[in-house]
Amino acid sequence: MTTHMKAQQSVPVPSIWSTEGAARLGSGATVTTSHDDGSIDHGVTQAPYERRFSPYDFNGGTCLAIAGKDFAVVAGDTRLSTGYEILSRNVPKLCKLTSKTVLASAGCLTDVRTLQQVLDMRLRMYEHDNGKEISTPAVAQLLGNTLYYRRFFPYYAFNVLAGVDDEGKGCVFSYDAVGSHERVEYSASGSGQAFVIPVMDNIVGFKNRQDPKPEYTAADIVAICKDAFLTAGERDIYTGDAVTISVITAAGVTTETFELKRD
Amino acid sequence: MPRKWTGLNLASTSLFFVTLSACLLQVVFTSNMFGVTVKNSGMTGTGTTAGPTKRTHSPMVTGTSVLGVKYNGGVMLAADTLASYGSLARFKDVTRLNAVGDYTILGAGGEFSDFQAIQEILEKMDQEDKNADDGFSHSPAELFNYLRAIFYSKRNKFNPLWNEVLVGGFKDGKAFLGHLDMIGTAFSDEVMATGFGSYLALPIMRKRWHANMTEGEARALLEDCMRVLFYRWGPREGGREGGRKGEGGRLEGAKQPRTQKVELYF
Repeated sequence: MTTHMKAQQSVPVPSIWSTEGAARLGSGATVTTSHDDGSIDHGVTQAPYERRFSPYDFNGGTCLAIAGKDFAVVAGDTRLSTGYEILSRNVPKLCKLTSKTVLASAGCLTDVRTLQQVLDMRLRMYEHDNGKEISTPAVAQLLGNTLYYRRFFPYYAFNVLAGVDDEGKGCVFSYDAVGSHERVEYSASGSGQAFVIPVMDNIVGFKNRQDPKPEYTAADIVAICKDAFLTAGERDIYTGDAVTISVITAAGVTTETFELKRD
Repeated sequence: MPRKWTGLNLASTSLFFVTLSACLLQVVFTSNMFGVTVKNSGMTGTGTTAGPTKRTHSPMVTGTSVLGVKYNGGVMLAADTLASYGSLARFKDVTRLNAVGDYTILGAGGEFSDFQAIQEILEKMDQEDKNADDGFSHSPAELFNYLRAIFYSKRNKFNPLWNEVLVGGFKDGKAFLGHLDMIGTAFSDEVMATGFGSYLALPIMRKRWHANMTEGEARALLEDCMRVLFYRWGPREGGREGGRKGEGGRLEGAKQPRTQKVELYF
């Protein structure tokens, strides 16, 4: 029996057991053909697949941060999920890096914890090398570099960094998974990002509004954060249970917890 | 002058490049007059020739759920004594719970041989403590973090320990109960379950748990949950519980972890 397949070049292996595999398999890798002897090949010999272990898991959650004149507010929910299951209702996403900087990360918890540990080690080294605490824009750059270091096996962490800079002004930096970052007035990341950012565009960014934007105090911003999480928690299944909100000023960091719906 | 960074990521990145090149060469299609044949390099270290897969890609002999609860004065874990080989109830009297050091117990579901490897690793750590002979023994939280680091490092090499582990313990008046997943997802809580128990038993445990549970209440809760798993989830055999007690508890002078095999008849 001689059968000569048309596809001579190597075909990328679609691994259907990993999260990216299902999408790849759907992109036409299989071809159903019939052979001379009457048997039908459903494409398995052309594009065999294997089960593959996925090193990532999506643990859900939402984080947001808003910069004010001389303060920054950062918040993250406390729900840890996997698939349709809630693993825990009390795993905060916020991590205090220095007395003036807080990191909030959503995504894959194991990568988030490792990233926080790596940053913690590097920040301590910085203090020993330079004899002073690191400034928030420097932490922002360090985090960007740390993420890019793993460009070819990324940390599945979606970060928002908030703090006060050396001039005392509030600053917020938003990141993607491989370290691209930008200083912004407000930002959100995680599963509820798409529910929260439009709310902030309107109320904090005052986009597409003609009325004058008020000067918000820290208490105003905290109230806006609570509303934003209530909004996200209503529609996003991975956001809920509780929110930890930290306010960072030149004096330090204060944290409060706000309960959300547990459904 | 900034110190050169030689931290965790450097090692991870270089390991990944080895992995990456192995992945790219994983499957090569050759075409000859007899049709397409698939040469599977199986993600070996060299990645250039066909060979058996040397990484874990699916578990073989597996254990099912482990349940854990913190009570007033200790932590209690429960697990059954079955290790299955797919749908075959292969080993009916294994111990899926283990005591490590002076303060810690752990239980694991998933690949049983990987659980035995974990036991050896932690046993080595405990032996080093004993060899130092300075009165120090690692606390449950420390063992938990150590195990988490091992799990993470193995997942980075795409060769995970295929387990879901509960680590429980009691040291210096503080109870600890932590859950560890095969990719290193680590968190702690008052009640925990692995495997199918997280669907069937965890809601019951979450509803009935309250602060200052007594040991008897904790034991009753775990037995009820094991009964539910017995009725509703196929793999099970007998039952076994491990208890970690704080000082001054009901069992006078029992400072060592107490493991007890219990025949459960429903």
